[in-house]
Order: sequence, then C-alpha cells, then structure tokens
Amino acid sequence: MARYLLRRLLALLPVLLWITVISFGIMHLAPGKPTDVTAQFNPKVSLEARQRMEKLYGLDQPLPTQYLQWLRRIVALDFGRSFLDERPVIDKIVERLPITVAINIWSLLLILLCAIPIGVIAAVRPDGLFDRLTTVFVFIGYSMPSFWLALLCMAFFGVSLHWLPVSGIHSLDYDYFSWVHRGLDTAWHLILPVGMSAFVGLAGLSRYMRSSMVEVLRQDYIRTARAKGVSEWRVLFHHGLRNGLLPLITILGLSLPDLIGGSVIAETIFSIPGMGRLFYEAVMARDYPVVMALVTVGAVLTMLGNLLADIAYAYADPRIRVGETP
Amino acid sequence: MRDSLTAARIRLGLTALGFLVASVSLAPSTARAATLPETGDAIVDSSIGDASRLLPILATDSASGEIVGLLFNGLLKYNERLQIVGDLAESWTVSDDGLTITFGLRPHVRWHDGVPLTADDVRFTYEKLVDPNVHTPFSSSYERVASVEVVDPHTVRVHYREPFAPALESWMMGIIPKHLLEHEDLNTTTFLRHPIGTGPYRFVRWKTGELIELAVNPDYFEHRPFIDRYLYRIIPDQATLFLELLTGGVDQAGLSPLQYTRQTDTPYLRRRYQKFRYPSFGFTYLGYNLHDARFQDVRIRRAINLAIDKQAILDGVLYGLGAVATGPYPKESWAYDPSVTPDPYDPDGAKTLLAQAGWVDHDGDGWLDREGQPFRFTMLTNQGNEVRRQVAELVQQQLKAVGIDVKIKIVEWSTFVHEFVDKRRFDAVLLGWNLSRDPDLYDIFHSSKTKEGEYNFVSYANPEVDRLLEQGRRTFNKAERTQIYHQIHRHLYEDQPYTFLYVADALPIVSARFRNVLATPIGIGYNLIDWYVPRREQRYHQLSR
Repeated sequence: MARYLLRRLLALLPVLLWITVISFGIMHLAPGKPTDVTAQFNPKVSLEARQRMEKLYGLDQPLPTQYLQWLRRIVALDFGRSFLDERPVIDKIVERLPITVAINIWSLLLILLCAIPIGVIAAVRPDGLFDRLTTVFVFIGYSMPSFWLALLCMAFFGVSLHWLPVSGIHSLDYDYFSWVHRGLDTAWHLILPVGMSAFVGLAGLSRYMRSSMVEVLRQDYIRTARAKGVSEWRVLFHHGLRNGLLPLITILGLSLPDLIGGSVIAETIFSIPGMGRLFYEAVMARDYPVVMALVTVGAVLTMLGNLLADIAYAYADPRIRVGETP
Repeated sequence: MRDSLTAARIRLGLTALGFLVASVSLAPSTARAATLPETGDAIVDSSIGDASRLLPILATDSASGEIVGLLFNGLLKYNERLQIVGDLAESWTVSDDGLTITFGLRPHVRWHDGVPLTADDVRFTYEKLVDPNVHTPFSSSYERVASVEVVDPHTVRVHYREPFAPALESWMMGIIPKHLLEHEDLNTTTFLRHPIGTGPYRFVRWKTGELIELAVNPDYFEHRPFIDRYLYRIIPDQATLFLELLTGGVDQAGLSPLQYTRQTDTPYLRRRYQKFRYPSFGFTYLGYNLHDARFQDVRIRRAINLAIDKQAILDGVLYGLGAVATGPYPKESWAYDPSVTPDPYDPDGAKTLLAQAGWVDHDGDGWLDREGQPFRFTMLTNQGNEVRRQVAELVQQQLKAVGIDVKIKIVEWSTFVHEFVDKRRFDAVLLGWNLSRDPDLYDIFHSSKTKEGEYNFVSYANPEVDRLLEQGRRTFNKAERTQIYHQIHRHLYEDQPYTFLYVADALPIVSARFRNVLATPIGIGYNLIDWYVPRREQRYHQLSR
C-alpha cells in the first residue's frame, strides 16, 4: 500500500508541472498587464511611469524566464507578492480561506443531511409521489439562477421580515463582541449564503444517491435480507445504504478542491470576502502571482482529492483492495 | 460582478483625484443650521471595491483614494466652488516667473501619533514620489520640479525647471510622515494597512474585502468632526447595496440613474434619505480615428455631431440625469466657455454635409455610399458598462437615420486598450474620460501625445490647439488661463475630434439623519467634518473598546 501511494504521488508531479505551465501561458496570453489597472487610462500617469513600473515587476523579462523565476520561488513554497497591493500572496489567501471553507463545509454537511434521506426514500418507490416531488424540488434549486433566488431571499428575509441580515458576514461591531456573541453573529449571517449554496448543490448528490440506491435495492442480497424478515428500516439503512454510499465517496473526493473555491456570484451578492472574489478580481487585474498561486493550490487539491477518493474506495470496497494488492 | 468591476474601472480615471474628491474642508459658516451641531454617531459609507494601499502616493484605486482623503491632507485643496485653497499650507505664493512656489505650513498640525508636521515631511513626500524604487504611478506630475527646499520648519519652497500651472493641483497629494516611513520600503511596509496621517479621521481597522473603520481625530486642525466614526463597507453588488439601503444597513451610497429616478421614489425612502445630484467631472464621447480617410474630413465629423440627438440619449439612458456636453468641461468649471452653443439635432443638416463630402445614397438601399462603398464603420466600446452599451445602440439607430451603417463591437477592457486603441485598430470608440479639476488637456489633445500607450489615440493635431495647450500650462494667471481654455473648448467643438455626448450626474444618497450635507460643484463629501446628527436621531452609540 505504501509503495502504491508513493507511486501515485510521484505520478502527480509531472501533471502538476504541466498544469502550471499551461495556466502561466494562458494567463500571460490574455491581453493586458497588471499595470493596466493601476495606471491605464489615467492621464496623470505618463507612458514612462508605466514602463518603469512594468520593469519593477519583472514584466519586461521574456516569458520563459518569468516562468522559471516563478517556479524557483514556488518550489520553496514562496508564492510571491500580489501586484495589486504588494502583500504576500499567502497572506491574501489565508485571510480569505476560513470563510470560504466554512461556508462550503456547512453547505456540504447540509447537502448530505438532506440528500441522503431524500435519495434513499425516493429509491424505495422510484417514480412515486415522493420521488417526483423531491425531483421537482431539487431541480428547481439546480436550475434557478442563483443570484436571482439569492436576491429574492435577501429581499424577503432581510428587508420584509427583518429576520436575517441582507449581506456581509459580520455585524459592523463584530470585533467588539464577546466570543459567544461572535459565533452567533456569524451563524446568523451565514444562514442565507449556506442555505443558498446547499439548495443549489442538492440536486447532484440527491440524484446520485437515488440512482445508486435504486441499483442496490434490486440486488439479490436485499431480497435475501427481506426474505429473512429483516425490518424494512434496517434493510434500507443498514444493508442498502452502506452499499449505496460507495459512489458518493468518489464524488466527495472530487469535491475537495471545491472546498477552497468560492462562488464569485454568491460572494458578490452576499458581500462575502471569499476565495471566489479573490480569484476573479485577480484575473481581471492580471495579478499573476495571485492567479498562479490559486491555480496551483487548486490543482494540488484536485489531484489529492482524486487520490483520496481512490484510497477511500479501496478501503470501503474489499473487491478493489484485494485486486490491488494480491 | 462584471458591472461593478467595470464601474470600478470607470472610476479609475478619477483615481488620481480620488483623494481630492473625498478631502474635507471647512464649510461656509452660512450653511450652519439653527441648532448647534452635536457630536456622536457613525456614518456607514459604501463602496463597490475594497481599498488596496492606504498611502496617498500609492492610492491608485478610488476606494483607497476616498479613505486616504480622510486620513491625510495635501498642501492645497479645492473648496466647494472649485477654487484652490490652502489645506496644510496656510499661505502659498507663486513667483512672477512661475518657477518657484513657496508654501507656508499651518503651525501646530500634528500627525495622529502626536508628532508635529514639518516642512521635512513635505520634502520627504516629494522624494518618495520621484523615487524610482517606489511603485507610484504619480511621478509624472512632479518631473518638472527641480528641487524642493526646506526654508524653515514651516516653509517649503518648490523650484521648477519651467512654469507648470497644473503643479498647484499636484500639491493636493497627501503629505506622508517622514518619521514613520524614513526607514521603510514604501512598497511593502505595514504602514500601508495601518496608516497614520493628519486628517480629520484616524485609522482603526481594516477587514479585507469587508470593512474599513476610521475614528474621529479630536485634534483635527480645522475643528473636531462631529461624527465619531466612519465605516466603509465593501458591497460589490449594486442590487445588494440597494437592499442594504432599504434596511438602513448603509447611510451613504452612489445610485444608478434608474435607482435615482424610479426605485428610490418611495415614501419610505423619501423620508429616510436625502438624494443629491451634481455633475461629475467627466464626459462620454465618440472619438474618431483621425487616420481614417473618412474621419479626416471635418464635415463628416460635424455631420455625425448633428445627427446624434444627445438629449434623447440623456433622457433614454440616464433618465435625463446629466447635461449635454459641448466640450471636455462641465458647466461648473471656469474653463467652460458658455458661448459655445451646441448645434441642434439636425439630421437633414447632417445629410447635407455628408452629401457635400460626397456621401449620397446612390443605389437607394438606405445607406450612404461613395465610389460604390457604403458608409460603414465600427464603434468600439468596453465590456461590462451597461450604460455605454445602451448609448452605443442609440447612436447606431440615430446614424442609421442619416444612412450611416454602424457596427457595435464590445470588447473586454485590457483587450480593448492594447489590441485596438493602442494599435489604432479602430474606426471610432465610445468612451468616457474622468478628468481632474485643472483644465489642462495636454495629454489628451496635444499632437505630441500620440505614441502607443499615450492618450491622444485619436491622433488629433491642430497647431493652434497645441500652442494654446502649451501656453495654458505655463501661466498661473487665472484670467489668462480662462481665456486660453475657452479658446481650446471652442476649437475642440469646431474640430470635433471627439463628438462630445454628455456629462453624467453623480447621484449620491445620504441618510436623512445627517445634517449640513450640501450639494456643491465639488460634490457632497467636502464638508464631512461639518456633518452631524441631532442626538435623539443618533443610531450608533459609543462602544466599549
């Protein structure tokens, strides 16, 4: 198992290298330079001043040189400094990571909490009333424009009812609150964003769960269990669910990179300073160091997620484990 | 998101001046209300984008500019009537040859940490502005400075190589503290996120992408501002911002014309907010590529000017919230020549002019043609600006009426600048300029500014305008300058290198609990230190720190 792991990990390196080369290339192929944002189309800024700034940022070097310089730093885990405000890129990421991860984890938990029961119960009687109702429900969430739904909820719960805050993740005076008060305040602000994000993501997992359970419930061992006189509850959640959950493992593994990626639209609507906005703003500003750092981190997490899913799969399903190490 | 980002970009042109707009000054005492102002409360302002660096010489975006304007002071500033007055300088004199400006600093001004401000700080600020290792884009305004001489702790003398009238405006740049920054790398210092200035408010905290908090500077040299706290919320979406207004989550915001005319016209909002309207310093225009043989003919440019109904554009797109432009200056500017009267909307006159230039609809297909070629051109504009897209469509329709076939092409900003404007690959562009209060337009219309990346991208060249532009920068005499810029205004209207479309209004909304908020040519924020809230209406109370 250890050798297998090592081999898989080493195989990731060339892939990672390629990903960085390609993203570096694409980013620099896009027209425009980081200095555009600070100095473009401002008559107070002369051409000479702009050229001098480009030189200071090393943008006058040939592309391969710039890439190698970036690579040399990244090997030492130095992500460099943002062109926009010259803060270390790592600081900018660390500052925005917690809120995005929190929203994603809470929303994932909420999705699992709803999707598993919905999927299982719907699978008992495929195309029955419950199945149809939940299908309609989850697809409403999936297909409705999320920004519009978010605005409607903000207008209803925030403006009309005054139950929830309209936007933001903290009250204005959050920093002066006690610890308990802070926790409650954040939770109160997160209800809408987390709820929205879960509603949108519910369709995928609940449908996966349903189809996998439909498959499982047709198996012989389920019939055997029922024939033995096992209660329906136990058939579903003990015999059925354990096998039905297997495909979910893969999906969860693949969603690892999603945990650090925020939705630009949701973050913008709810005024949340998360990773989505960081990435989007960095791309629009051609802030190469930030873009490259986020791409690299995302790529690493995607590959690790794949690997983890494979391992978890092997762990959960003895047939794979046996096949892998004879 | 796209919209808001573009809005940020539209404001970019103004960024050099952001700190001026937000800078505060002593209000005219005539405006004092009958009740005595009371201290306390907080104001929650809003912005679509976060600040990036809170140092005047590095503050390039408008959010940084606004915050920096409250934290720092320049030597000079504009008052509410757009006249240059002293800020940190209580006196200033320009020598007769225009080569020396002497500033006498106010005594007893202290930095927020208690250290007195001296002439050394001024020289230090200048040194950093022209230091090649400091990543400031503002150095160009100071390249004519020969030296900055500290005469005594409260007197600074700036020597110029040649007279340069816009120099006065350049000394509105916030002065930065030498004692704190002397040994720092300005590009990366922690000061950028923990600034210390001389302004009416001092820095408290900054939660990236979320909030910036400032607190009153009780020792401010003009007087203690009445409002205790200033909170700057980052709300990137215009719809969210509007919902926040409805719940009272923000006290001040900039509205879109639609929001101003329709959505805020409810009894609730009328009671809770006061709306303001004043012209912004900027204009939207159709610029021609004067290398194009068709546009070289001034008759064609004049014909297009006649064929575009600017009032219809204003009414249709901006709900009438603006003014038809005849040149680069708003009516409030002293550089605006009121005798330049806009030609009326006259499609028939346009057709006559076009026919004189040889463009007639020979084949009867509805489009003008000459030598078998139809009159067809592409109007380029940048992506994400909804107002500009609508203007483009109206111009397209109106020109269709005179037989000119206009294609609209909308391109992402960086591509737009680098692939089309810089390389002159365009027929005409629909764009806007946000300009400084000083009327100098050398960079935009002087014939020497046509290199790739410079701003006379339409390649306008009129020797008379060149001469006037040069002359206008060399004299400090206001009467003389007024003459010069009036002439420039007239030439630009006659030559039509741009067809000037409109000057849009700034449309701020402020909570009704704030008193003493006045709309003036420079806007509403100039007298923030005089705003106050009567005690019984105060909303935010002092917090235990």
